[in-house]
Amino acid sequence: MSYIHVAELRKQFVVRQKRGKGSLLREKKTVEALQGISFDVEAGELLGYIGPNGAGKSTTVKILSGILTPDGGEVTVGGRVPWKERKAHVREIGVVFGQRTQLWWDVPILDSYELLRDIYRIPEEDFRKRLDTMTEALALGPMLRTPLRQLSLGQRMRAELCGSLLHRPGLLFLDEPTIGLDAVSKLALRDFLKWENREQGTTILLTTHDMEDIASLCPRVMVLGHGKKLFDGALGTLLSRYDTERTVTVRYEEADAEPELPDFLTILREGENMNLVYSPQDFPTAELMARLQKAGTIRELTVQPQNIDHLVAAMYREMDL
Amino acid sequence: MRAYLSTFRLRRRLELQYRGAVVGGVVCQIFFGLILVAIYRAMYLGKPQAMPLSQITSYVWLQQAFFRMLLASDPELLDKIRTGSIAYDLCRPLNLYGFYYMRILAQKMTGSLMRAVPMLIFAFLLPEGWGLALPASPAGLAWSLAALGLGLLCVSALENITMGFTMRTLDSRGMQAMLNLLMMTFAGNILPLTLFPDSWQRVMAWLPYAQLLDAPIRLYTGEKPPSAAPGILLIQAGWIVILTGIGILFWQKNQKRIVIQGG
Repeated sequence: MSYIHVAELRKQFVVRQKRGKGSLLREKKTVEALQGISFDVEAGELLGYIGPNGAGKSTTVKILSGILTPDGGEVTVGGRVPWKERKAHVREIGVVFGQRTQLWWDVPILDSYELLRDIYRIPEEDFRKRLDTMTEALALGPMLRTPLRQLSLGQRMRAELCGSLLHRPGLLFLDEPTIGLDAVSKLALRDFLKWENREQGTTILLTTHDMEDIASLCPRVMVLGHGKKLFDGALGTLLSRYDTERTVTVRYEEADAEPELPDFLTILREGENMNLVYSPQDFPTAELMARLQKAGTIRELTVQPQNIDHLVAAMYREMDL
Repeated sequence: MRAYLSTFRLRRRLELQYRGAVVGGVVCQIFFGLILVAIYRAMYLGKPQAMPLSQITSYVWLQQAFFRMLLASDPELLDKIRTGSIAYDLCRPLNLYGFYYMRILAQKMTGSLMRAVPMLIFAFLLPEGWGLALPASPAGLAWSLAALGLGLLCVSALENITMGFTMRTLDSRGMQAMLNLLMMTFAGNILPLTLFPDSWQRVMAWLPYAQLLDAPIRLYTGEKPPSAAPGILLIQAGWIVILTGIGILFWQKNQKRIVIQGG
């Protein structure tokens, strides 16, 4: 059996809403957060989990980490049912909730780590070794004696990640780990996750809104919307369905160069640059290049694929999310 | 067990950092102590009570010194519940009740000791009839210290039940306002329990609130002789068992129906 096995997973929430503005009465509404999700994950996989806000991503993570009981369906992680064998299960997993904090706010982060050592009963020697590796990989060395409140968001996220991995969990859940981070911190975090996955064989399940996270980390991606699974496979396969347009930017040596192009291709001029958007299906690339060359001497030419965020937005629109 | 002890130690360390709050608390409690003592002195001028004045002033100072033990909710715990960071605590291989109990215990113990020491020194230095008298006997002091320890366990169990309620209602303020009123009244903080009518006292002495500070203070002042101490400690122990039991059951129920809201 797979490391993580999920079948027909269901969860409902009851939401209370006011009937109208200023009304004292509230009505109950049932929201189907998960409507029968099934998937399997093998040990050592790095899986990305995407979908718009409210799609049910966090609900899945909470069920898989044993803190939420589903209304129906089967879940096993490493052969255990998370919410039934909570203590044994949580010993094997690590969790990072990007918008919450697990370390103590007013004490040095090393103190929080030492408490985690005692909570997970990590032998001292093992703890030192793991902490040394992690502090080096995450560049935490100089901050170990700094209280959490004095760290920047990027430093804090690295510290949180270290805290979640000290007990060498076989499975790591990351719920929006790069939220609010700057470019350097994001890159460092991604490198670290790749390293952890490769060197320690940790299975990682990542939810995110940052498509770069997925593109650079996850060979496999799952799309969730309205509590249903909409896609499960490689990111490339998913995007090729929506990835149809290219933007070409040309700059000629001559100022008055004017390529002969069909009317349905719109040309936008930006100073000396000419931008045109075309779809290789409608207009062959070879033909386009030939016409561009005929018009003059090309000084510079770039072809850009579509922005990944636009693609995902197009996908969500088509899936009616 | 080690995990719980470490939790206790870390929370104690955290409390030791808040020294500014200690200064503020001590000043405030001294102010209240002086006013209360002045009121009782005035009252005794008009109509002396059965209880000697020096016992009443001792009672007031001991109540004020350990005020922090009664009225202190861990703001971090309340925040965790409100914002959902409790999700992390649920992901630990720990008993949640025990984990929170240790944090509450450490906070109440450290917080009240830090305030009690300077306050008691101050109260001892006041003249007789104003300040804190010496304990009635060495045995009385020893018993009252034991009773104080049990009172601390008792109040921590009470507080953890409040935490359980907070998990249900998400906002602790209404519940706490009510519980605090009960606590202040029946623990003897507003009016020493020794000044209530005898018929009331017979009932009040059995309530859990009387076990927190009233029981140890009566042993200290000698209003209850050391021979009565084993009985008092037994009542305290009984309440610790009952309150802890209720709390554990409550938390178990909560844990099954918990929902962490928001992404």
